[in-house]
Amino acid sequence: MNLNLKVDKTHRYDAIVVGSGMTGGMAAKELTEKGLQVLMIERGREVKHIEDYDTAMKGPWEFQHRGKISIHSAEEYWANSRFGNLANEETGEFFTDDKKNPYIEKRPFDWIRAYHTGGKSMHWGRQSYRFNKNDFEANAKEGIAIDWPIRYEDLEPWYTHVEKFVGISGQKENLEVLPDGHFLPAMPMSAPELYFKEQMMKKLNRPITIGRVANLTKPQPWHTELGRASCQYRSKCSRGCPYGAYYSSLSGSIPAARKTNKLTVLHDTIASEIIFDEKTQKATGVRVVNQKTLAVEEYFAKIIFLNAGSMNSAALLLNSKSNRFPTGFGNDSDQVGRNIMDHHLGVGANATVEGFEDDYIFGQRPNALYIPKFRNWGTDKRDYLRGFGYQGGASRSDWKRGITTDGFGATFKEDMTKPGSWVMGFGGFGEVLPNPENRMYLDKDKKDPYGIPMIVFDAAFGENEIAMRKDMMNAAVEMLEVAGFKNVAGFNRQDTHLGLGIHDMGTARMGKDPKTSVLNKFNQVHAAKNVFVTDGAAMVSSSCVNPSITYMAMTARAANHAVEELKKQNL
Amino acid sequence: MMDRRNAIRNVALLVGGAFSAPTLMAMNHWEDNLKASPAAFALSDNQKLIVAEVAEIIIPKTNTPGAKDVGVPDFVVMMIQDCYRKPEHISFAEGLADLENKKFLSLSSSQKSEILKQVESNSVEQMKVYQVQQTKMGDNDDREQMKEQAKGLPFWRLIKELTLLGYYTSEQGLKSSFDYVPIPGKLEMTKLKPNQKSFAY
Ligand SMILES: Cc1cc2nc3c(=O)[nH]c(=O)nc-3n(C[C@H](O)[C@H](O)[C@H](O)COP(=O)(O)OP(=O)(O)OC[C@H]3O[C@@H](n4cnc5c(N)ncnc54)[C@H](O)[C@@H]3O)c2cc1C
Ligand code: SF4
Repeated sequence: MNLNLKVDKTHRYDAIVVGSGMTGGMAAKELTEKGLQVLMIERGREVKHIEDYDTAMKGPWEFQHRGKISIHSAEEYWANSRFGNLANEETGEFFTDDKKNPYIEKRPFDWIRAYHTGGKSMHWGRQSYRFNKNDFEANAKEGIAIDWPIRYEDLEPWYTHVEKFVGISGQKENLEVLPDGHFLPAMPMSAPELYFKEQMMKKLNRPITIGRVANLTKPQPWHTELGRASCQYRSKCSRGCPYGAYYSSLSGSIPAARKTNKLTVLHDTIASEIIFDEKTQKATGVRVVNQKTLAVEEYFAKIIFLNAGSMNSAALLLNSKSNRFPTGFGNDSDQVGRNIMDHHLGVGANATVEGFEDDYIFGQRPNALYIPKFRNWGTDKRDYLRGFGYQGGASRSDWKRGITTDGFGATFKEDMTKPGSWVMGFGGFGEVLPNPENRMYLDKDKKDPYGIPMIVFDAAFGENEIAMRKDMMNAAVEMLEVAGFKNVAGFNRQDTHLGLGIHDMGTARMGKDPKTSVLNKFNQVHAAKNVFVTDGAAMVSSSCVNPSITYMAMTARAANHAVEELKKQNL
Repeated sequence: MMDRRNAIRNVALLVGGAFSAPTLMAMNHWEDNLKASPAAFALSDNQKLIVAEVAEIIIPKTNTPGAKDVGVPDFVVMMIQDCYRKPEHISFAEGLADLENKKFLSLSSSQKSEILKQVESNSVEQMKVYQVQQTKMGDNDDREQMKEQAKGLPFWRLIKELTLLGYYTSEQGLKSSFDYVPIPGKLEMTKLKPNQKSFAY
């Protein structure tokens, strides 16, 4: 079969990819490199790599509110601003205006969105950890929800494949709990961090590693070929990197896909429905709404990849009704929109570090330390399930310490120009269990400004998460105390909800049984195998590690399968 | 108390000095009935002079520019207007009224310092109350009660925080105070030289 069919004027392609973010970019790259003509549909505006990073090179004084968020922005970006300062003048343009894109909260849900080229890959913290073997087995072992239809070994080669392309800097540690990947040279730790690491190993037998992060410490030929350069250590990544030094769809997968000359991208185009053909029992294409003109059009392809972000991919399924799928595309199991997971955060501890007065750092490290999960691991058993990992580290306090210390005047002013004492702190990311009652669905009556039913969230943390949070705080306090640091203070924010962990997932889970799951082991909708969902929606459990590299590995694996199946004429 | 620009960096900031979150900033969007009406925050000329004077006492002109030289007074007023809601507008105005009552502008410089030291130590107590309210945020049962009590951050905290922010991130203030390295190009663990200034990025 010829996969290189010319794009004709009738809106026909080999594949449609919905979404240009972390997973959509990867899908487009893999599919075009394997010879398919791909149409990428992105609901948001076009952001051009480098050219459109308007704030990237600005000095602090060039921002009117100097990085603080104004009340006006806080209202415009009401959901984003629950995270804190996300939508400030440095990055605000790159987040979604929540007022213009409303959603309904039956129970509070902190939905952080970025509708534009690259999606949230533009903003991510770039922390990249593989799931471990047990992450894929825990559900089955503990009788939670359903079993994963895949194991670590299924994903292993695809982790390596995407890690190489993305460029992850990190240190091999040979830990079962945190499998090593394909790494570029690791970033250094500061003196107090090295001390802390040593103390934790000695006193608690607890390994600590430098964060594994998608910033190029040593670009490889396939990185430079795409115009990506070495990290300059400015740590202003969330404004967009003019060096392409951190991985995003904008710096990596989309340029790679464009190089094949097989990628077409539509912006300002919202996918609203999947078109289903009752005769062939396959999807034939996607119906879209133009965000600016509200014009409706249809595009057709042999296969469709949903990469709109877990909540939007599920919404798209739910909104695609037909005789065959009266409650939403592929929703025979009634699991679409259910089992929302995330990672819970906002818990940890801080301390001041005495000594190390003549140690300092040149450059800003866009990275932190990582303390892998140690609870419910090995011989450790808790009265809750699963566990958490911490991210954090040490830094020398700067002039901002003057805000919370007393004093003013000439001496105070002079003091503030010198580095202050070291401080150290950690925040945890905790695993969230799947629960079918944690769900999103479409409102029967209310529509968004584009005529698409509004999403309703009805989800909350459960007892397991709440119990874990207490331990997360206490264990962080314990570690800082054991290290001998001073002024140790734990924190456990009570005003966070699902979503704030910015790792929302689970709304179209994979599984072996079509009765209890939406997707098969290759991310295909059970009942319509030419539709693939390869973003976080596919997740069966959440682990506690940052998930994007896993989504990308899953995407590359599914794309490979899709092309093989196309060649066999199975789709 | 969280300036949560990103989860990782935030953690390190806390002990080393954190910006305040305006009261009720993080509350559910449909529940904040405490928005400032645009006219609600206006300062008299005399109050503006007090703002400028206090800012200059916090960061005086030395061999480097002072708060007034780099436009901090206007910055403070603009920030209160743009980035804070009614509770802070009220507490800021209260703080200024208090200084007006004490005829602040006509005092000697040592008297001014004495008064500000007093204001500073009082606000430490006020901050404790404020923090209790913060931890209650998001707790449904207490919300009604909290709304009624809602009181803004104390005047001193506001003016000090905004003076430091306005000064140390102004072009002149930053470049004269720190070793400005917009593009470090490398990451290195180093030793501090005697009297070395902080790097700013
Ligand atoms: C501040 C922050 C820090 C983070 N840090 C990390 C980290 O350190 N490590 C990590 O692993 N993850 C991190 N994440 C999470 C990471 O960004 C996401 O996991 C990842 O981007 C998800 O990829 P995605 O393709 O599913 O969605 P996205 O990247 O959000 O992309 C979805 C795209 O689809 C588009 N879209 C949505 N609906 C439609 C529609 N109907 N039609 C057409 N297009 C549509 C959107 O506009 C968007 O461009 C972070 C996120 C944030 C916000
Ligand atoms: S820290 Fe590195 S990746 Fe981030 S913006 Fe700077 S140069 Fe780019």
